[in-house]
Amino acid sequence: MPTVVVMDVSLSMTRPVSQEGYEEFQRKNLAVHGLTMLFEHMAANYRLEFTSLVAFSSLWELLVPFTRDYNTLQEALSNLEDYDKTCIESALGGVSNIVQQEWGSSCPCQVVLVTDGSLGIGKGSLRQSLQTVKQRADDKKFPLPFPFPTKMFILCVANAEELQMTDAMDNLEEMLHLSGGDGQIFTMDGPLCLKSVQAMFGRLIDQAYSPFHAVLHCGNLSSDVQVFPRPEPVVVDDEVDPMPRVVNTDLEIVGFIEIGDISSPPVTSRHLVLPIAVNKEVDDVGTGAAEEPEEEVSASQIAGKSPNFCVLLHGSLKVEGMVALVQLGPEWYGMLYSQADSKKKSNLMMSLFEPGPEPLPWLGKVLQLGPISEAAENPYGEDDSKSPFPVQPQIKRSYAQNVTVWIKASGLQTDVQKILRNARKLPEKTQTFYKELNRLRKAALAFGFRELLKGVGDLLERECTLLPDSAHPDAAFQLSHAAKQLKLASAGDSQYAAFDQNIAPMHTDFSS
Amino acid sequence: MKMFSVAHKTAFVVDHCPYMAESSRQQVECDVLTKSRAQGLIPLAPVSKSLWTCAVECSMEYCRILYDVYPLHKLINYIVSDSEFHILNTWRQEAQSTHELMSALAAVGPPNPREDPECCSILHGLVAAVESLCQLTELQHEQRTVLMDTAEMVANRGRIICLTNAKSDTHVRMLEDCIQETLLEQNKLAAGSDRLMAIQQCELVLVHIFPLGEDTLVSDRPKKEISPLLTSEVHSVRAGRHLATKLNILVQQHFDLASTTITNIPMKEEQHANTSANYDVELLHHKDAHLEFFKSGDLHMAGSTSRDSGLKETVTLKWCTPRTNSIELHYCTGAYRISPTDVNSRPSSCLTNFLLNGRSVLLEQPRKSGSKVISHMLSSHGGEIFLHVLNSTRSTLEDPPSISEGCGGRVTDYRITDFGEFMRENRLTPVAEASPNPAGKFPADRAKAQLERYTRYWPMIISQTTIFNMQAVVPLANLIVKEALSEEDVLTCQKTVYNLVDMERKNDPLPISTVGSRGKGPKRDEQYRIMWNELETLVKTHAGGSERHQRVLDCIVACRSKPPEEEERKKRGRKREEREERPEKNGNNKEVDDKSWQDSERLKGVLEKEEPESEVIKDSPDSPEPLNKKPRLATEEVQPSEKTKGPVSLLALWTNRITVANSRKHQEFAGRGAAVNNKTELYQHLKDDNGMDVHENGKASR
Repeated sequence: MPTVVVMDVSLSMTRPVSQEGYEEFQRKNLAVHGLTMLFEHMAANYRLEFTSLVAFSSLWELLVPFTRDYNTLQEALSNLEDYDKTCIESALGGVSNIVQQEWGSSCPCQVVLVTDGSLGIGKGSLRQSLQTVKQRADDKKFPLPFPFPTKMFILCVANAEELQMTDAMDNLEEMLHLSGGDGQIFTMDGPLCLKSVQAMFGRLIDQAYSPFHAVLHCGNLSSDVQVFPRPEPVVVDDEVDPMPRVVNTDLEIVGFIEIGDISSPPVTSRHLVLPIAVNKEVDDVGTGAAEEPEEEVSASQIAGKSPNFCVLLHGSLKVEGMVALVQLGPEWYGMLYSQADSKKKSNLMMSLFEPGPEPLPWLGKVLQLGPISEAAENPYGEDDSKSPFPVQPQIKRSYAQNVTVWIKASGLQTDVQKILRNARKLPEKTQTFYKELNRLRKAALAFGFRELLKGVGDLLERECTLLPDSAHPDAAFQLSHAAKQLKLASAGDSQYAAFDQNIAPMHTDFSS
Repeated sequence: MKMFSVAHKTAFVVDHCPYMAESSRQQVECDVLTKSRAQGLIPLAPVSKSLWTCAVECSMEYCRILYDVYPLHKLINYIVSDSEFHILNTWRQEAQSTHELMSALAAVGPPNPREDPECCSILHGLVAAVESLCQLTELQHEQRTVLMDTAEMVANRGRIICLTNAKSDTHVRMLEDCIQETLLEQNKLAAGSDRLMAIQQCELVLVHIFPLGEDTLVSDRPKKEISPLLTSEVHSVRAGRHLATKLNILVQQHFDLASTTITNIPMKEEQHANTSANYDVELLHHKDAHLEFFKSGDLHMAGSTSRDSGLKETVTLKWCTPRTNSIELHYCTGAYRISPTDVNSRPSSCLTNFLLNGRSVLLEQPRKSGSKVISHMLSSHGGEIFLHVLNSTRSTLEDPPSISEGCGGRVTDYRITDFGEFMRENRLTPVAEASPNPAGKFPADRAKAQLERYTRYWPMIISQTTIFNMQAVVPLANLIVKEALSEEDVLTCQKTVYNLVDMERKNDPLPISTVGSRGKGPKRDEQYRIMWNELETLVKTHAGGSERHQRVLDCIVACRSKPPEEEERKKRGRKREEREERPEKNGNNKEVDDKSWQDSERLKGVLEKEEPESEVIKDSPDSPEPLNKKPRLATEEVQPSEKTKGPVSLLALWTNRITVANSRKHQEFAGRGAAVNNKTELYQHLKDDNGMDVHENGKASR
């Protein structure tokens, strides 16, 4: 989930912070300090995240496009200049463009807005923007909600009390609400100082940028993994099931399925599954960040050399062309598979299915998937020539069952012509003739279209008179029999108009 | 869409009063004469549908589309009204099919024009519809049972679609009032009943149908709120084609559908089989399949066109002829069931049959710039066709670190093939819900239990295992993981063990990994000891499973060669680290034995690969004095024959003698003399506080 850091560089950010010490800080300095801390954290623990940096005042500027190079971001932070007044609306418009250009409109995105809670004055101020939200023309809509799913984190270099004195807090809350409500407003506790800004960014990190660690299990085989990006909680139905579902930290493999059988299933999100060495982490905690780079290399080398289940699993999934069905929580599943990018690198990936007992209709209920050893006969065949998938639905869809629709005249004409074509080829086509005839009869009865039954009866009688001399004598018998039956049905006599009855071919001496 | 939105329950109320028997006055020519047969024939007079027939076939089309796109949980209750109401089906899932409804409709038959119009009214049906909406569906019942205390979270909403011929706007108002009244009445009734649910929201969609060529007596009216419970809208439509279009639009609105037109489908001409023309087919599906277009405002770029005077929009996607049948895992963000708008037209059935035969078709989003973007895929699964939405934007996961760069990435001898075989054995299969359920566990739980059994002892790399590299062990290894063994299985396992005993007697070589170890690796009897240990470990993990499993273990314990304790100790003292001793001493304690065996064996695997020397360095003071404790010549260390009590080859004897003789002829190199296990630390003096020089150091050790 990419991040856009939106940094307020309006003049109000240069307000000095009352400090007891000697050095005088501006709010901007505190903000930069917090962001530096965030970037350092990401570089160390969340380095696959794409982050971009936007600075705004009355105008906005993309300082760093999406990157994983946190040095560039740091550098840009240290070169911020001061500009005029705050105009959040234009900045949000910019964010919307930047994200959509890079990631399209369905990729979820996190927005980290760093400001001081003074939200501009007059035209372009957040207050004014929010007041006019409902009176906009289509081409000048307020940029929220963004077209893409958004998590909005608003970090104010200010106290909550300070914001509540004006309507700033209310406006920010309304803005968060407009963005879809997913996110949080962070304020500083206590005096504005380095420590409290650290605490505030620390809370952000805990909430949004702490790596998701889990253990992948396959029976007794297991591996510690990091799942990137963090899987987000999902709400299935806010009415019946309003509690968000979260992915378990124990991911349990249920079994394996061929790629062809799982066949490009829809997924709600994709994640890298990266094996991690747990003892290494313990080391890190023990020795602190001051560890020498040389030792780090050797530590990761040892980790590289000790066998890891993820690597084994990945290798076999790749070779066999299979996926592993993995349980993420109660009634929630996903799949693990090998994903190769263009550069011949490949990786273990996990895709999450929609939560629910039956995420893919063609697999049926996941709880009802059992080991093949229980089946009397291997459902895959001895030579893997068969497959128990896909699971067939009980009722066929309309396009798979030759339904009768006469909404367009051509539909009706085609059906009548089909009967007549077969009528002319009696008695060879007796079976098809009656099959088509009965199909038409059934539909006409259901639609209460008795006029048609009579009409087709007439047509068959006419065909009978048009039979050439060379025609098989059976043809005449069948045609007049069919015509008679249709006309009886058209009269509505329940004996002849029963839906489930079919007109049977007449038994003649000719039809052996 | 919420689970219990208004779309969960739809009551169709169709007027069956005598006036519905009137002709729609839309004529259908069903006698289409071909030119060759035309002479002298008077074509049959065109037929025309009654208002009833129009209403029924259009409502059936509504149901057909709905059932195609939502086979579950979007339910229809079909009610026909004349002098009384006739309920043609129930809310139950198995009653939800067009075939079921058609059969019931045939039983009702067309309206009787001779019936007394005074006793007939659509009201009977409408009242019945409200009553029916109060009834619980299976899903509502199920959810209420699941939620228990919070059962009130299950909402009851519904929609009534009424197809009738109303007399006037006042008549319409009367109908609305009547429904409102019934709603209140029924809700009161429902409040005191467990089997009924009060209706929270009801949407009335009244469609007034009138014959072609007549003026309508009822005016259209958009949705308006009659009460907090009831909203109502009125559509006044001509019978025939117009009604069909209207209901098609309604089904899309009611169930969040959208339309996609697949264009450029190559199809053989009916008349000229060797030419092909391009056709278009329109499909309906959930509108989320277009989400990306809607959001990006790309609709027009994606080739959306308006038809039927702007009432309906469709997105055009271009067919891409499939090149290969290769199986690929696409990144797909959604899959939505489709229903063709014109199901029995030739282009539609050609497309659907092509897909039902198992082919997938990629669809391209036409763009002005000319760049080709594959945005969707059509594919069938089990006789159902789905429109898959493919991700066509940049991935946030691009350029990840390769798996070979991470943990375990440098290990090269994973048992990839074996694990592949393991995965095949642990493939899943759907189990009928009706089938017996041993131990009350779901099939998926049994699948997990099988994984647990199969992985109780599963070394991940080739150099960590002997038995899994041996063909001879396969029958036992395959059987022992089973939950239950038959007598025959036990016999097979025992045979496997006897076979191994036989191999040992014949001194057959074992595929012991020699990676990282010097020379030829362990001696043959040592190899067998490792093999037996490993086999015992494997079987031990299953021995608790059943008495038969235990018998296999007993067989192994009884058959395996156990050298006398003394000899064992001596050997091991030289070769193995002290830790290994413990399990031998506590031989009776199986668990300790088992665990430490695994530990030491694993350790050995790792150590052998990386630092072959360390095992000797760890030699303990209380192990029996090995020969190489004395400063020795390198050759002795390498020669495995020296370390064991096995027969000594002539070559070894000779080499030994020569080396010993030679060693007396010269002074030993100082470093080698001081070496521990053939290894000497260089520049020792730099570390030494006393600053002893190399010479002294050398002498001191002599």
